[in-house]
Amino acid sequence: MSALARSLRSPRVLIALVMILCILGCAIFAGQISPNDPGDQNLLSILIPPAWAKSGDPAFRLGTDSLGRDVLSRLIYGARTAMLVAFFASLGAMIIGTVLAHISGYFGGTVDWIIGRLVDVWMSFPPVILSLILMVGLGVGLDRVILAIILVDWTRFCRVLRSEVLIVTRHDYVAAARLLGFTHWQAIIREVLPATLPLLITLMSLEMAIAVIVEAILSFVGLGVGADQPAWGQMIADARQYVYQSPWNLLLPALAIFFTVTAFNLLGDGLRRTLDVRLSESGR
Amino acid sequence: MIGIIGKLIARRLLTAVPILIAVSALLFCVLRVLPVDPAAMSLPPTATLAEIEAKRHEMGLDKPLPEQYFIWLTDALHGDFGPSIQYRRDSGSLVAATLPATIQLATAAMVLAAILGVGGGLLMFRVRGTPMEPVIDFASILLLSIPEFLWGLILLFVFGVLLHVLPFTGQVAPGLPLPRITGFLLFDSLLVGRFDIFFSAAQHLILPAVALGLAFSPTIMRVLRSSLFDVYHEDYIQQARLRGLSEGHILVRHAFKNASLPTLTLAGVQFGILFSGTLLVEVIYSYPGMGNLMVDAVRNADLPLIQAIGLTYCIIVLIINTVVDGLYVVLNPKLRVG
Repeated sequence: MSALARSLRSPRVLIALVMILCILGCAIFAGQISPNDPGDQNLLSILIPPAWAKSGDPAFRLGTDSLGRDVLSRLIYGARTAMLVAFFASLGAMIIGTVLAHISGYFGGTVDWIIGRLVDVWMSFPPVILSLILMVGLGVGLDRVILAIILVDWTRFCRVLRSEVLIVTRHDYVAAARLLGFTHWQAIIREVLPATLPLLITLMSLEMAIAVIVEAILSFVGLGVGADQPAWGQMIADARQYVYQSPWNLLLPALAIFFTVTAFNLLGDGLRRTLDVRLSESGR
Repeated sequence: MIGIIGKLIARRLLTAVPILIAVSALLFCVLRVLPVDPAAMSLPPTATLAEIEAKRHEMGLDKPLPEQYFIWLTDALHGDFGPSIQYRRDSGSLVAATLPATIQLATAAMVLAAILGVGGGLLMFRVRGTPMEPVIDFASILLLSIPEFLWGLILLFVFGVLLHVLPFTGQVAPGLPLPRITGFLLFDSLLVGRFDIFFSAAQHLILPAVALGLAFSPTIMRVLRSSLFDVYHEDYIQQARLRGLSEGHILVRHAFKNASLPTLTLAGVQFGILFSGTLLVEVIYSYPGMGNLMVDAVRNADLPLIQAIGLTYCIIVLIINTVVDGLYVVLNPKLRVG
């Protein structure tokens, strides 16, 4: 834990945590802080520019979209969608990837070979293509997006963690634990897993950034969380046709995605440095 | 050396075949779980249940899944992926018609990403230990956080909408004919001697290629920098300094040469990902490539077409990996013996 406490002193980690807390605040208190209902259509006031512009309306601080919906409220509710996906998708991918990586790296042999080939098959699909195909099979919806990301991205954890587990397993203290009468599972959970934890936390943070991007991509293509749930990718897709009339509608959700992804990437980078993780860039 | 590369390619092919079979089976299963009935979709809505049943039988949908897969695989091996439900044309020919445009875009983007990545990586390494280092480092994280579709939108907005300097829809200006010889428009327009088409196509390629290239350059930058750090611990760098070589000379002629190998491996992996990144950029710029076709197929649940495109992407990723392995042997003298 001392390493984690030390990482809190890193400016990168601190800045990133503040940024993430901002987004998280928006996500949790979306109902309280958003000025309007994100789904309320107001067809008499469509494509209003932000309040500071000449023809802006103070009721819609960041303007309205092509259906007269409040952009600020949709941005805030979009944060909820993005954070839900980021958290649950990376948690799921982490659990599957970590379990398989530990089994693979600790036991080796046939199990390792099978899991390795499974990863090979998965990796030969470009991630965007695989998630699109999965979304065709699964259908739209928030839970489906999360499931699709889990099913695509568990390999990121599995691949990187497996080599770490291989190294840790060879240490004497793991053998000593076995000699003390630990079962294999006890040895993995009490001795190997804690040693891979720094890498795991770092990967998790980077995976959250990826999950936010993938959710935005899927929503952008129209195969995301569904039309009734505000999502940044969907806002961009809607605004694309009206880019001449109201460029803000396009730029604001793009900025929100950029802000969130930067926060998670910054956190991952900060953790990687302070926790002294051997994570090559190709592991991303 | 050619023998070694040959052996390597043969070994790669041996592993590629089972992977492709597994991938295609996976694709087939995922798409068969769908609640969509391809038979009902390929008939007019007025069709009776008996007609749909007859069509199901005709399409072989009433057979068990493994048998369906086997039939599909045999046909696919003969280059027949089945007719697309939505276009009512052979899926294979649809893929073949759009693939060159995508390859053209991906190649242009990769070249850009490599130039930006190597330049940025050398710069990042050069400023190590100076007050500029954290600034550049932070900038690279910011760059890393802009995915290709955001770059696409930003560039479209700045250069297309605000400044009106570059076109941002399609592959070539409307009204110009599309010469089709190889399918690679830049190449074909030169073959028929139409320089106006060539320039128009090149202009239309700039924004999508830059968007993709920018999105993929930061990873290359960061890998190059960290490999340069590793290389600088080696004795031959110290040795080169003792011989009085300049820092610039050491960096480019000694360190970069060795650091480029791990970077190349990564760039290969990146090229595979970049190839699928074309999908979003194509959608944003209405570029008539395979990505647009894929999104179209996905939206209309056009199963044969999705299968054909999905498999094509996998094959391309496998080919890229093989080529990178081959290049690695060519560039790394240590691997040439034996």
